[in-house]
Order: sequence, then structure tokens, then C-alpha cells
Amino acid sequence: MKKKSSIFTSQKFIVLLVVIVLFAFFSIISENFRQYSTIMSILDYSYYIVLMAIGVTFPLITGGVDLSIGTGLICYSLAGGYLITQKGMPVAVGLLVTILLGILIGLLNGVLVSIMDLPPFLTTLCTCMITRGLGSIFSKGFGISWPAAGADGGWFRSIFKITTANGTKIPIGFLWMLIIVAIMAFVLNHTKMGRYTIAIGSNKEATRLSGVNVKFYHVMAYVISGFFAALAAVAYSAVFATVQPGTGAGFELEAIGGAIIGGVSATGGAGSIEGSLIGVFVICLLKTGLPYIGLQANWQQIITGLVLIGAVMVDIIKKKRAEVH
Amino acid sequence: MGEVILTMKDIDKSFPGVHALDHVNFEVKRGEVHALMGENGAGKSTLMKVLTGIYTKDSGTITFEGKETEFHNTREAQDAGVVIVHQELNMLGHLTVAQNIFIGREFKKGIKIDDKKMNEEAKKLFEKLHIDIDPTETMSNLTVGKQQMCEIAKAISHEAKVIIFDEPSAALTEAEIEELFKIIRDLREQNLGIVYISHRMDEIKVITDRVTVMRDGTYVGTLITNECTKDDIINMMVGRVIYEDPKTESTVPADAPVVLKVDHLNAGRMVQDVSFELRKGEILGFSGLMGAGRTETARAIFGADPKESGDIYINGEKVTINSPQDAVKCGIGYLSEDRKRYGIVVQKTVAENSTMACLQNFMSGIFINKKAEKKKAQEYVESLATKTPSVDQLVVNLSGGNQQKVVIAKWLINDCDILIFDEPTRGIDVGAKNEIYKLMNKLASEGKAIIMISSEMTEILRMSDRIVVMCEGRKTGEVRIEEATQEVIMNMATREIG
Amino acid sequence: MEKIKQNPIVKKIGFNRIVLCGVLILMYILFSVTSKGFAGLPRILSALNYAYFLGFLALGVTFVIATGGIDFSIGPVMFCAALIAGYCLTGHGLPTAVCLIISILVGFLFGCFNGYLVAYWTVPPFIVSMASMNIAKGLASVFTKTQSVSWPQAAEAAGWFRKFVKVGSFPVGLVIFLVAAVICSLILNNTKVGRYILSLGSNKEAVRLSGVNVKKWEMLAYVICGILVGIAAIFFVGAYTTVQPGYGDQYNNEAIAGCVMGGTSMAGGLASIGGTVIGVFIISLLQEGILALGINKNYQLIITGLIVIIAVYADVVARRRKN
Repeated sequence: MKKKSSIFTSQKFIVLLVVIVLFAFFSIISENFRQYSTIMSILDYSYYIVLMAIGVTFPLITGGVDLSIGTGLICYSLAGGYLITQKGMPVAVGLLVTILLGILIGLLNGVLVSIMDLPPFLTTLCTCMITRGLGSIFSKGFGISWPAAGADGGWFRSIFKITTANGTKIPIGFLWMLIIVAIMAFVLNHTKMGRYTIAIGSNKEATRLSGVNVKFYHVMAYVISGFFAALAAVAYSAVFATVQPGTGAGFELEAIGGAIIGGVSATGGAGSIEGSLIGVFVICLLKTGLPYIGLQANWQQIITGLVLIGAVMVDIIKKKRAEVH
Repeated sequence: MGEVILTMKDIDKSFPGVHALDHVNFEVKRGEVHALMGENGAGKSTLMKVLTGIYTKDSGTITFEGKETEFHNTREAQDAGVVIVHQELNMLGHLTVAQNIFIGREFKKGIKIDDKKMNEEAKKLFEKLHIDIDPTETMSNLTVGKQQMCEIAKAISHEAKVIIFDEPSAALTEAEIEELFKIIRDLREQNLGIVYISHRMDEIKVITDRVTVMRDGTYVGTLITNECTKDDIINMMVGRVIYEDPKTESTVPADAPVVLKVDHLNAGRMVQDVSFELRKGEILGFSGLMGAGRTETARAIFGADPKESGDIYINGEKVTINSPQDAVKCGIGYLSEDRKRYGIVVQKTVAENSTMACLQNFMSGIFINKKAEKKKAQEYVESLATKTPSVDQLVVNLSGGNQQKVVIAKWLINDCDILIFDEPTRGIDVGAKNEIYKLMNKLASEGKAIIMISSEMTEILRMSDRIVVMCEGRKTGEVRIEEATQEVIMNMATREIG
Repeated sequence: MEKIKQNPIVKKIGFNRIVLCGVLILMYILFSVTSKGFAGLPRILSALNYAYFLGFLALGVTFVIATGGIDFSIGPVMFCAALIAGYCLTGHGLPTAVCLIISILVGFLFGCFNGYLVAYWTVPPFIVSMASMNIAKGLASVFTKTQSVSWPQAAEAAGWFRKFVKVGSFPVGLVIFLVAAVICSLILNNTKVGRYILSLGSNKEAVRLSGVNVKKWEMLAYVICGILVGIAAIFFVGAYTTVQPGYGDQYNNEAIAGCVMGGTSMAGGLASIGGTVIGVFIISLLQEGILALGINKNYQLIITGLIVIIAVYADVVARRRKN
């Protein structure tokens, strides 16, 4: 989707500027912020949100939403982790189960929303509850720790972070993020899957009348969201020591908020993967940076909420202005 | 002109309560532009919807390229080469022009959609049609006229053999219409059969070879464009015997006070510099074809849609109306066109719908005085002869005509002095229609001032004291009932250049 | 349209609600049979404790759903109100009565915030909900400096508000809740506010074209919800003592589940306070029963989720049939 207006006025660019400004602001104000370890920290904690945001961009563009990604990721991680730690299965099997479970729940969401025609937010709210319950059941209520970096099965952690011989940590995960963003941006902009996702969000009926199998592509949007929630589960397990059941509620706000700040329209039809990536970094920067200027992490929740509203209002004002002309 | 490519014979189609197509015949030859004309409700769109598979005919035959055919959906029609460019745009605003044109049949290089090729093909298509549009432009950024051009290009790109244009020039500028005609001439040269639905006489004269006229669902006749006059066509469009007596003279005194004065009202393309007066006790008919701007004018006066400029005077005093709230406070009531969408609140009862516009008059402290509400509603159920088991009946369970009466009751209970009825008898059976006519006359005789928007000629001639005619956003004429005939009105309602 | 002759009693109470009562009774019997000692007053009182705050949440969100919108910030806002008001009590030493009012005020302010954005700025309700939810959580944490708050016990001087929940074994809370439900029903069915809220949920444009200021009434639905959420907070701390910041989400779903189960339509325009009340009782009893049977609480989450999906699907099918 190319906009005729200059790239410099596009929302993506503006949000990128915001990220740079925020980073500069925190760096200047706080000396402690200006450490390499801070950047490592920001990146580490961003992976799972970035992956969720990439996935949820698809349902959002169709005009829907997937609220089950937060508790879902915890559930998938607990399921896979349980098999590894309690049943002694190899890490590869755990990873596979995690990912399959995400795809399955995504398929469930897709069928409920697209084929049974249920409202997306309430439906995914229900699957959010269901996955929260499932997660706790899988882990029998206990937190689960995937194998540590040095331990026998801990190889998967080095997908995201490599520790060199002299102790420097390299955030290789960020490279993967960029690659995945590039791939999914390609999918959104240049494949039938992405094209029809946008078409459904723009005008589902017109798309259907053009002979496109909208039911299929609509379901797939939610499958993608579930798949990426599962990838986020892997990232989360790799970065955090323990995964606790009952957590996860609230992750989806960061992912969805990031996507909307990055330019995804709340009503569907518009959005980009790169934008979602950048939007998530606004949220991550706020989350990490605010404590350095003395604001508790909880201010981040408030500010994230306000920023989300602000972003949507800007979108609405833009639309109203366009209507006049 | 070549041989006949499409024949529709004895096509019959009925909907509940409406005989939409009554043994209609229609044929199209290769290399011809064949106009299909008629008033609103004549059946033109219905006929084309039957052809392209949107509706299923009840009886009759369709022969395409010598073989008897029936298309079950638009996709089948499209694949066979019969394509329709609809009046309402069916587009995907967030995608580009090229992406819209090739939606569902994208060019691919492996897994990747070949947007580059699509842009090139779209460019080629546009060049062939002499249209100047950038295929990489986002659809929603284009003007309505250009969007329509894209729809046309999309239809043509289907390797069509027969193309139906349904009111194509409605949203186009003069320059774009010229481009459209060039395209149509090219298509004719390529031996396509073209159906051109339009009410614009001047265009019919310029671009078409033959004209078929429909009236009230029946086929009236076909003329050769060069050999007929505008009057011939109008005669065919309206030449019906009117069984009800049209009003021959108005009983409104010449010195009746002006209750509503609209001065130079502007509200977008559909309402351009409209001015008129409405007098006490009079029924002012608003006539015109679909898209003339009558509903838009009414909504602008009522404050339902924003207006750009213009003044409204009620009983001589200037008033500010920016919302339906303001209008209702000024004593104006508006009965909208689409009852189900804008008139009734479906989950509520007859009584509750009746008091919607003036609920504050039925309060006892903070509670609604339901007893008084029901009593008032019952009064109007009786005086309007609304058929309902009780005022507690959900309004969605009533028939169309009776739903309409409930909406009318709403405005009467609010004691409006000025009533705007927009297509008051649409979708209502004959018996109920007469009751509504009686009611309107009674209201007028009681001193209310009524604007009646209607697309039915008989209705306009039967009820109006004066008639205002609109065409494409402008008021094109005003005539007293004494001097009004179908031909006079239709003349004003169809555009004429030179 | 064919009208089916209906038994007048069924018509008055509503078929839906009779079925729900039946479900409630069946559940009670089932739990009594399968769990030793379930039958009897203590369990009922325990279930009721859950029903009070959940009930007020559900009453509140009924108004919002009636307009065709949604609000799932209600759980976190309830916690925010309970935490802020509680902190004023324990941390700042303000009198209990004042703190109760503060609780309602917090709910009221969030209601205004939500309603204003939805009605006047046409921000999609689910986005407003999401943002509000997080703002509420963050605000509560900031105010109480991330500490949890414990409201005073019944024995203490400041603990008199617990009498709202029960005096001795008498469930005062039930009386208050039912009275509140009756008031809500009166508002919804017998006042201008309720008339307009339900009408605009059914057909907003038709109501606007009747000369009604729909924006005002849509916002009011959210404000009413906010006030009821503030009251819910009082009952939450009245029954349970400690509130912790960062929680509250699960109650959203259960409140909405109670609503939808009770016959309130997600599409707007149709709401049943009576149905909501019974729905809330069913969920509360389910909660209690699962606790008694020792079933993992997580199964309750899953069951509630499934129930809502089924209820919403039934609603979708019913609407489709009507069209």
C-alpha cells in the first residue's frame, strides 16, 4: 500500500521520530539509562511484545481484534514447558507443542469469529479466559522454568541472546525480529493472504462479491495471530526465568496498543508490520525509561493507556478532516 | 450494428406485494449502445439484476450468444462476459486502483503478487480507454468521478461481451463524461453490446442507437434514437391512464401565509442553491428522479446533515437549525425514506415509538407516565386506523403501512406545524396508501404545511397544491397544480442541454 | 408475522428467565448432592458475597451493553476505586463515610471518561475499555504506592460499612442488591434515561432523527455504569478484606457473562435486569460449587468462557432468525 503523500508525513515516520526523541530524552536525563545493559534490557523485554504485535496486526486489519494473545502466550509456554520439565521431553518437542497449541487456539478463534460470526472482542475475551484456565491446569498451578542458558536444553535461549567468551551479551534476537518483520511485511503487502486481509477489513462484502473466499482468509488472520502468540511464548520463555500461570493479562494491550500507535486503524483496512514494530518500541521505551526518571512502572500503564487513546483520536480527527474534502 | 447477442423474452418477476417485471422484452445487438429508460420503479435495475444473476426470474427466457442461458450469480455472468457497472460503488478504499481492478484474480510470480505487472496492465487498460488515472493511487484518495471510472475500467477488463452501465454519469464531471463517451464509442467499435441506463435526455441523444422504455414493470416499446424526439420518449415513460383523479385545483388561498422559507440552501453536490417557500395548509410536492437531491435537501433543512450555507425562515423569522433537535424545537417533523433504518426503533412498542419525539410531555416527575403515553398512542392508533392488536405491540411486528402510521403519529403527537414526508407510501399496499392520502389532506386542511417528496407521478399529481421539481441537486422548476401534467414535470426532471 | 399464543405467566416473566431459574435450582441440587455439607446457609452466604459485587458490576455493564457498546474496564476500575478509597481510609485516616463516597466518585469519573470518548469522539468502545483498564490499574498502583490495602474488620469502629453486607447471619447485602436491581430496572424501563438508552442501542439514527440528543444519553449509560462500579467496590471490600493492585480482569468476563446469559443482547436495544440478576447468581453459585467440590478454579474460568461463547452464539442465531 503506497500513500501518495511524502513518506515523511506518514504515521510510521512520525512514530519513529517519537521513539528517537524518547530515547534521547531518557538518555539525557538519566546517566544510568545510557548503559549498554539498558539497551539489552529494552530489547530483551521487547521480543515477545513485538511478536504478539506482528501477529495481532492481521486480525486488527480485518477490523477485528485478538485479546487472547496475552494469556495465550503464557498458556502455550506452560504447556510446552511442562512437557520439558515434568515429562522429560526434549526442548524441541516442547517448542513444537507450544507452537501447535497457538495455531490451534488461533484456529478456534478464527472459526468462532469468521464462520460462526461472533463478535471478535467478546469471543477472544472468552478464549483469553479459557487459555488462562488451561495454562494453570497444564502447569498444575506452579510456575515453570524452561531450561537455563547454560543447562542441557538451554540452547533455545541463545536464539535470542549470545554471550561471547569475554562476557559481552549480543542481542541477536533483534536481528531475528527485523527478519521476521521483513518477511511478514512481504506477506502483508505482496501475497494473497495479506492482500485479502486488507480487502476484508476495507469492505468484506465487496471482496466476497469479487469471488474471494473471505471465510478462509478471515480465519487465517486469526491463525496467524495465534501462531505469533506462540512464537512470543518462546521468546518469553527464553528471556524470563520463570513463567507463572495466571499472568499474561495486559500483554495484549501492549501489543495492540503498539500496533495502533504504529498506524493500524482501529476500524480496519489499514496498517503495517513495520509500524507495529515501531509502535511497540514506543511502549517498551516508556516501560523501561520511566523508572529512570523516577516514575514507577505503574505510570507506564497510565501513560500507555493515554497514548493509545491519543493515537486513536488523531486517527479519528484525520478521518473527519478527510470527509470534509 | 451487428447481430443480436442478447435476448430477454417475457421476463416475469414478482416480490411480495409487487409485480416488478411483467412480461418484459429486451434485446441487445453487437456494436450498439442501447438505452434503457423509465421512471423510478419502472423496473430497469430489476431487469438487469435478473440478467446478471442477482435475482432469479420467475419465468421467461434469456438467450445469450444464441444459447438459452441463466446466470445464477454475478461471477457466472462475469465469466460469460456479461458485466454490470453498478450505480453504488463497490470498492475497497484502502487498496490501490490496480489492486481493486484485479482483486480476486491477481497476477502472481510464485507466491508473490506481481503488483508491478498489475500496475502495467492497469496502465495499459487506462491508456486504451483514454483515462488519466494513476494505478498506484489509493482508491479512497480519488474523487467519486474517478472512482467510477475505475469501476468502469474494472468491468471492461473482464473481456466483456455485454456491458451494462447503470446511471454511469451521475457522479462524473463534464470532462469525465466526454471521456466516458469516448470509451463507449471505442467499445461499440469493438462490437460489444452496451446497455446504457440513464434519465439524461441529452446523453441518450448523443451516445445511443436505440432506446427501450419501461413503465411500471412493463415493456412499452423501443425506438431508434435518431428517429424520435424527447417528447416521444417522455410520452412512453409517463403515458399511463391515471385512474385516480389528479387534483385539478388547489384550495389553498392565494394569500396563505408563508410558513417555511428556504433561501439559497447549499449542502454538497446534491443540494445546490435551492430556494422555495411553503405556505400554511398547502401540500408541496417534491418531484424528480432518483439522485435529484430531494431527500438531501429535506435532511439539510431538518438538520440531519450539515449544510454549507443558506437560510431558513419559519413564519418570517430566521432560525438556526444545526441538528434534528433544533428542527424539532422549531416544529418541523421529518418522516424519512427508509422506515426501518431511520424511522422506527425496532425493539420498542407502538406506544414507545409514538412518543419518541416529545417524551418530555409524558413525564410524571422522573418517571415516564406510561398510562398517558399509551392513552395518547391509542388515540392516534384509532384516528389513523393503525392495524395493531394493541399499543404494546412491538412495532417491528406491524406491516409496512402500519409502521408508517406509527411514525406519522410520532410527529403528530409532537404537534409539528411543518411536516416533511419522504416517500410516505413506499412499500405500502393500495388500501393503506389511500388512508395516508386522506390523512395528509386532513392535516393540510387543519392548517399544517406539508412537503411531500415522492417518486410516484400519480401521487404527486393527486396530492400536491404546488410542485417543485429537482434534478441533480438543483431546483429546475416549480409549477401550480392547475398547470401541471406528467410531461411538464418529467421535462423538468430530466436534464437537457441546448 | 405469526404471533404465537403465549401463556400469560411465561410472557410476563419471560421464557428465558424461567429457564435460567431452572438452571439455578438444578445447579444447587447438583452441588448439594455431590458435595457433602453443601446444602445449608453458610455456602449460600458465601456465594452471595461473590454475587454482590459481581452483581453491581453486571448491573452497570448492562446499561452500557444496552447502548450497543461494551466496557471491560469495570473490573480494574472497581479495584482502583477500592484501592484509592481504601488508602484514603488506612493511609490518610479519612472517615469511612467519606471513603465510601470516594469509591463511588472514582467509578463516576471513569464512567465520564469512557462515556465522553465513546459518545462524543466516537472512539471504538473496546479501545476505550482497554486504555481505561490500564489507566485504572496504573492509577491504583501509583496511589497506593503498589501496596495492597486492607479495609477495617467488622469489629473495628471504622468497619461499620460491613453491615451493608451482613448483620449477623442476615444477608443485608442481598436486600440492598435486589433493591438496587429494582431501581435499575425502573430506570431502564420507566424513565427517560432508560428509554433513550435502549432506543439508541436499537437504532441510534432513528432516535437522533426524532430530535433526541443521542450523544448525551450514550455517555450517561457509561456514567451510570461507573457509579455502579464504585458501589461494587464497596461490596467487594465489604465481603473480602484485602485488595491488591493489578488484578480485576476476570470479573469483567463474569459480569458480562451474567448479562448476556440473562438475555441482554450484545447488539444493543434489549436488556433484562432480572435476567442479569439471575445470571449473576448462577455464576456465583458456580464459583462456590467449584470451590466446594475442590475442582480447580481454572476449570471455572474455562467453563465461564464457554458459557459466554454459547450465550453470545445463541444471541447471534436469535437475531439472525428475526431478520
